[in-house]
Amino acid sequence: MAKAPTIKKTKAKAKAAPTTGLSPNRQRLWLMYPPKLIKEPLIWKLGHKFNVVTNIRQASVTDEIGVVCLELDGKRDDVQAAVEWLEKTGVNVEPVEMSAIAG
Amino acid sequence: MEKHDGFMKALKCRECGREYPLTATHVCEYDFGPLEVAYDYDRIKKSLTRAAIESRPKTMWRYRELLPVAKDPTVGVQVGYTPLIKADRLAKRLGIRELWIKNDAVNYPTLSFKDRVVSVALSRARELGFETVACASTGNLANSVAANAASVGLKSYVFIPSDLEQGKILNSLVYGANVIAIKGHYDEVNRLCAEIAGKFGWAFVNVNMRPYYAEGSKSMAYEIAEQLGWRLPQHTIIPMASGSLLTKIHKGYQEFVKLGLVNESEVHVHGAQATGCSPISTAQKAGLDFFKPVKPDTIAKSLAIGTPADGFYALKVMRETAGASEDVTDDEIRDAIKLLAETEGIFAETAGGVTVGVAKKLIASGKIARDSSAVICVTGNGLKTLDAVQGHCGKPREIKPSLREFEALLSQEEKVGV
Repeated sequence: MAKAPTIKKTKAKAKAAPTTGLSPNRQRLWLMYPPKLIKEPLIWKLGHKFNVVTNIRQASVTDEIGVVCLELDGKRDDVQAAVEWLEKTGVNVEPVEMSAIAG
Repeated sequence: MEKHDGFMKALKCRECGREYPLTATHVCEYDFGPLEVAYDYDRIKKSLTRAAIESRPKTMWRYRELLPVAKDPTVGVQVGYTPLIKADRLAKRLGIRELWIKNDAVNYPTLSFKDRVVSVALSRARELGFETVACASTGNLANSVAANAASVGLKSYVFIPSDLEQGKILNSLVYGANVIAIKGHYDEVNRLCAEIAGKFGWAFVNVNMRPYYAEGSKSMAYEIAEQLGWRLPQHTIIPMASGSLLTKIHKGYQEFVKLGLVNESEVHVHGAQATGCSPISTAQKAGLDFFKPVKPDTIAKSLAIGTPADGFYALKVMRETAGASEDVTDDEIRDAIKLLAETEGIFAETAGGVTVGVAKKLIASGKIARDSSAVICVTGNGLKTLDAVQGHCGKPREIKPSLREFEALLSQEEKVGV
């Protein structure tokens, strides 16, 4: 996936990693923007339209594709509505697991 | 390292290298990069010699130090060590000096390479104390989880898209698995499965158990190297769905070199996809290091993953090994299935048709040299995808119970050169 090497990630302080799961309403998603949407401030719009907390963890933008790894936190219905809006806008939304359905 | 972790050291993020304990977790909490098992290779080197391997039973577990279980495996102990066939007749047809088929169409117990990954995931799941295992699948993975779970009395949940063919559903139901059909688009089903995996305390084999599960694929590489007489093949052609199998076979080769079990040699790893779902091969051919998601439309259902989780890493491996990639149409897949069956007596599922078809293209285009040696990985059995070739293999010729009629048929066929 476009976990592109062009992005320099900020290294958080190394410490003992947590092993607990997510809060039930938090979703971790890959957003893939087609070229026509790359210039749109979609995450800003998302934060204004829906009562969700957006948290970007990784991003890579080229002329061909925009990829953002985003954590969404909020009430389940709000998170669902936000995902549906992104898809309707033309963004491909996948869980970070991506191919959770295998052959 | 603590003794109970076997030869594993930690789970490690493939992006930032941060380490995590060896639990049922799969992404880095910082950058969401995938986690992978890290091993203590110095200790493994002392234990895993050619002599030690050769003294053990012929299963994938003869390489157990390199597989992510702390103790002896408890699920699928007979899996693997499938035949590596020297395919002289197919080699002649494809125009290559030496060709081998790694035949996981006869893997135990469910006739696909998935038994490798599932036996690892379920053995590890039991070590971690899970009593329920789960997966989301359109075929082979579901069958394997259902069968292997049944064999040791684990409870299993199998999630499938609701429009799946009856035959495939039956292949999971028969083992007593809880089969849940989900209505909706693939994307929605995919997200729900990820959510279910996060919410319930189950071992979801290709989600929270993925770091362990994926390692099972390496055993295919170890077997190829050993069966070739402790050497690596020049070319390996591998089908790509998520891209995981390709990256793990490469990792397996590298580990054997690192441990001194084989000499270092030039290895090219090639990826095969169906034209109707070719995000990775399209990116590879365009020279990109990322892929664009696609909506799958192919008879090769076991490879139909439009957003492959390991696509980025598969592209990297092909780049690093000067490998190539190709894709084949549904008709080319059927032709290749028949070609493999008619030349070698091996009936592969559609993914096998993809791999053979792509090998043919890569040899014809010179990306695999005609005077070289190649291994084609066949990952599943043709009996699982009968629908794909139904009506494409001709029909039996009918006669009355009369010797005269049979002789007439034979002489007629001799005339037309059948």
